[in-house]
Amino acid sequence: MIGKHRAIVGILFALPSILGLLLFTALPMLSSFVLSFTDYRTVNTPKFIGFGNYTRLFDGTDPYFYKSLWVTFKYVILRVPIGLAMSFLVALLLNQDFIKGKSIFRTIFYLPVIVPAVAASMIWIWLFSPDLGLLNSFLEALHLPTILWLDSEATVIPSIVFMSLWGIGSTVIIFLAGLQGVPRSLYEAATVDGAGVFRKFRAITIPMMTPIIFFNLIMGSIGAFQVFTEALIMTQGGPNNASLFYNYYIYREAFQFGEMGHASAIAWILFIIILIITGIFFKTSKSWVFYESEV
Amino acid sequence: MAHVKRYWTIALSTCVIAVLLLTGCSAGSNNGGNSADNPAGAAAEGKETITLKFAFWGDTIEKKTVTEALKAFEAKHEGIKVEPLHIPSDYTTKITTMVAGNVAPDLGYMPAGTALAWAEDGKLLNLNPLIEADSDFRKEDYLDQVWYNWAPDKTLGMSTAVEGYGIMYNKDMLLEAGVELPPTKAADAWDWDKFLEVARKLTIDENGNNALSPNFDPKKIKQFGFQYDPYNMMAAVVSNEGNYLTPDGKGFGLAQPEAIEAIQKLADLMYKYHVSPTPLQTKSLPDMALQTKRVAITVSGNWGLQAFAEQDFNLGVGVLPKLKISNTLSDGAPTVIFGSTKHPKEAWLLYKWMADPESTLPLHAGGLWMPLKKEWYTNPELVAKWAKGNKAHPEGYVDAFMKQTMENGVRTPGFEVKNLAKISALVTPALDKVWTGKETAETALKAVEPQVQPLIQGYYGK
Repeated sequence: MIGKHRAIVGILFALPSILGLLLFTALPMLSSFVLSFTDYRTVNTPKFIGFGNYTRLFDGTDPYFYKSLWVTFKYVILRVPIGLAMSFLVALLLNQDFIKGKSIFRTIFYLPVIVPAVAASMIWIWLFSPDLGLLNSFLEALHLPTILWLDSEATVIPSIVFMSLWGIGSTVIIFLAGLQGVPRSLYEAATVDGAGVFRKFRAITIPMMTPIIFFNLIMGSIGAFQVFTEALIMTQGGPNNASLFYNYYIYREAFQFGEMGHASAIAWILFIIILIITGIFFKTSKSWVFYESEV
Repeated sequence: MAHVKRYWTIALSTCVIAVLLLTGCSAGSNNGGNSADNPAGAAAEGKETITLKFAFWGDTIEKKTVTEALKAFEAKHEGIKVEPLHIPSDYTTKITTMVAGNVAPDLGYMPAGTALAWAEDGKLLNLNPLIEADSDFRKEDYLDQVWYNWAPDKTLGMSTAVEGYGIMYNKDMLLEAGVELPPTKAADAWDWDKFLEVARKLTIDENGNNALSPNFDPKKIKQFGFQYDPYNMMAAVVSNEGNYLTPDGKGFGLAQPEAIEAIQKLADLMYKYHVSPTPLQTKSLPDMALQTKRVAITVSGNWGLQAFAEQDFNLGVGVLPKLKISNTLSDGAPTVIFGSTKHPKEAWLLYKWMADPESTLPLHAGGLWMPLKKEWYTNPELVAKWAKGNKAHPEGYVDAFMKQTMENGVRTPGFEVKNLAKISALVTPALDKVWTGKETAETALKAVEPQVQPLIQGYYGK
C-alpha cells in the first residue's frame, strides 16, 4: 500500500515540471506541427493547405531555403570539429599538474560562457571592424594583409566560427571532468609496462574519453545547427545572404514576413535534420565509443 | 502513515500553487481574447474608467515626450486612462506576439509593411467611418501624402509624423573650402555635375589634395565631401523620375533605366570619384562625422536634425541635388488603431490628440518630426513654433525641408508597394553588390529582376 502511495506522492511532486513541459514545450511543438500544414500569418485564421509549405521549400520556390541550409551546414562542418579539438586541447592543458594557477585559467576559459550572446556579439562587431577593429590592427602591426571578416561573403562564416571558439568554456569543463575521471591506476600500470606519453594518450586517454567526446559531439552539433544571435545582431544574414543561418531564416519568415505557417514547416525540417544526424551519430557510436561498464 | 499524510499535504499544496500559477497566466489571455471578441462588454462598463494601451518605439527623448503627451490627454479626458507601452527594440516581433495572443494594444505605431498587410487581414480598424462621424475632424486639414490606404476607400490612418529628406552639412567646412553653400530652394537645386564638382572639392586626402587634383590619393582620404547612406537611395531614384515599381504597379521599377542610372551615379560617387565613403569606410566613421569634419555634407531624413542639434558645429541645410527634377522623399511609419480594441471611440480621441502637432511639440521643435497638419506649414505663427529659431532648424530649413516636402514630397515605397518586405529581401542583397563595387547597377538589378517579378503585387490603395 505504502509503495503505491509513495508513487502517487512522487508523481504529484513532479507534476509541476511535467505540466510545465506539457504546456510550454510539448503543446507549442504540437501546434507548430499542425500550423506547418496551414497558411497562417498570425492575423488570419489558419487555413489547411496540406503539404503546401513543404513543397514550396523543396521545389525551390522559396529562394532562401537551400541557401540557408548550405550556410548552416558549412558552419556546422567547420564549427563542430574545430570546437571539439580546441576544447579537448584546452582541457588537456588545464589538466596538467605542472601548470600553475590552474583555477585562474579555468575561470578565464569559462568566463565568456556567462557573457550574454548579445553582448558578446556587440564586442565582436568591434573586434571585426575592418578599419578600426582590434584584429585588423594586429594584422597591420605585423605587416600582414587585413581581412574583411564579417563584410565579405568568403570570410563571414569562418569569422563567426572563429568568434564562437571564444565560448568553448562549458565544453572544456565537461572534458576536464572526464579527464579527471580516468583512473590513475591505468596510467601507472602503463608506466610500469614502459609506455610513453603518446602511447598512454592514444591507448588510455582517448578510449576512456570517447563517451565524453560523443556527448560533446552531439551537443555541439545541435547547438551549431541552432546558431542565431550572431546573424541577428552582427550580420542580418548578409553580405548577400552569406550568413543566412537557418534559425535566422525561420525568425525572418515568422516575424518579418509574418509567415508563421511557412516558418513552422521550416522549423520542423530542421528538427528532422537534427534527428537524423543524431541518429547517425548514435548508430556509428557503437564502433568507436567505449564504455568502461561494458567491459 | 503520519509522514505519508504530511507528504500528501505538501505535494497537494505544491500542485495547487503550480496549477494556480499556470492557469493564472493562460486565464489572463483568455479573458483578453473573449472580451476582444465581445464588444458588448464595453457597453456594460458604463461609467467605469476606460484604459487604452498605446504602443510606441523611439529613443529616450521620444519616450519622454510621447509619455507626457499621453498624460496630457488623460488630464483633458476624464474617465480615460492611457497606459504607455514603450518597446524600444524588436517592435514587430513583440506586437506580432501580442496580436497572436489576443492581447494587442488599443493603438500604436506600426512598421508600414506589416500595418498594410494586417489591415487587409482585418486586424486594424478602418478609420474612415470614425472620421466621417466626427464633425471636429477634417481629412483635408492634414497633408495628402501622410495617409495609409490599403484599399481605395479604406484607411488605417496617418503617418505618426512626416519625415522629409534633404542635405545637412557643416557650414564651416564649406566656407573653408571656398565653395558656395548649397541652395535651399527647389528652383535653384544643384544639378548632378555641379554637385559632383562641389563634392570633389570637399574631398581631401592626407596630403591636403582635393579630389580634383591629379595628386589626389583615394586610398588615404581624410575628409569626404559627401556621405550617402544607401538606405536613402530612393531619393536619387525619384529625382531621376524612377520608382520602386513601374507606374502601372506591374513591373520592377528599380530595373528600369531611370532607376539604374540614379543608382549607378550613387555608386560612382564611391568607386569612380571617391568622394563618398563606401559601406566599409562608413563603418569606421564616427556618428559625429560632420562635427569632427570627417564628412562635409550628408543626406538624411528630417529626424537626423535632432542628433545634429545636440552636437557642436555650424549646421546648414539644403535641398537635395537633382538628377532630372528637384523633389524629395516623404516618409513616416503609421499610427494605427487595432481591430481588437474595445473602445474605438476613445481610441479615436487619442488618435486625433496624437496627430495634433501641438500635443507633441517638443518632438517637432527638437528636429525629430515634421507635423501632419497643413496649417503648421502655412500659418507663419504655427511655423514659428517649430521650424524657426531653434538649433534643429537652421536658416533655410523652411524652404529646404518644409516647403520641399510639402510641395514636392514623393512617398517612399513603404506607403503603397505590396509585398515590400519580401521584395526587399531579394533586392537588398543584390544592391549590396553595387554598394560594394562588385557589380554595376545594371548587372545586379537585371539579374535579380526575374526573381522579383513573381513577387510583385502592385500598389495598395489603388
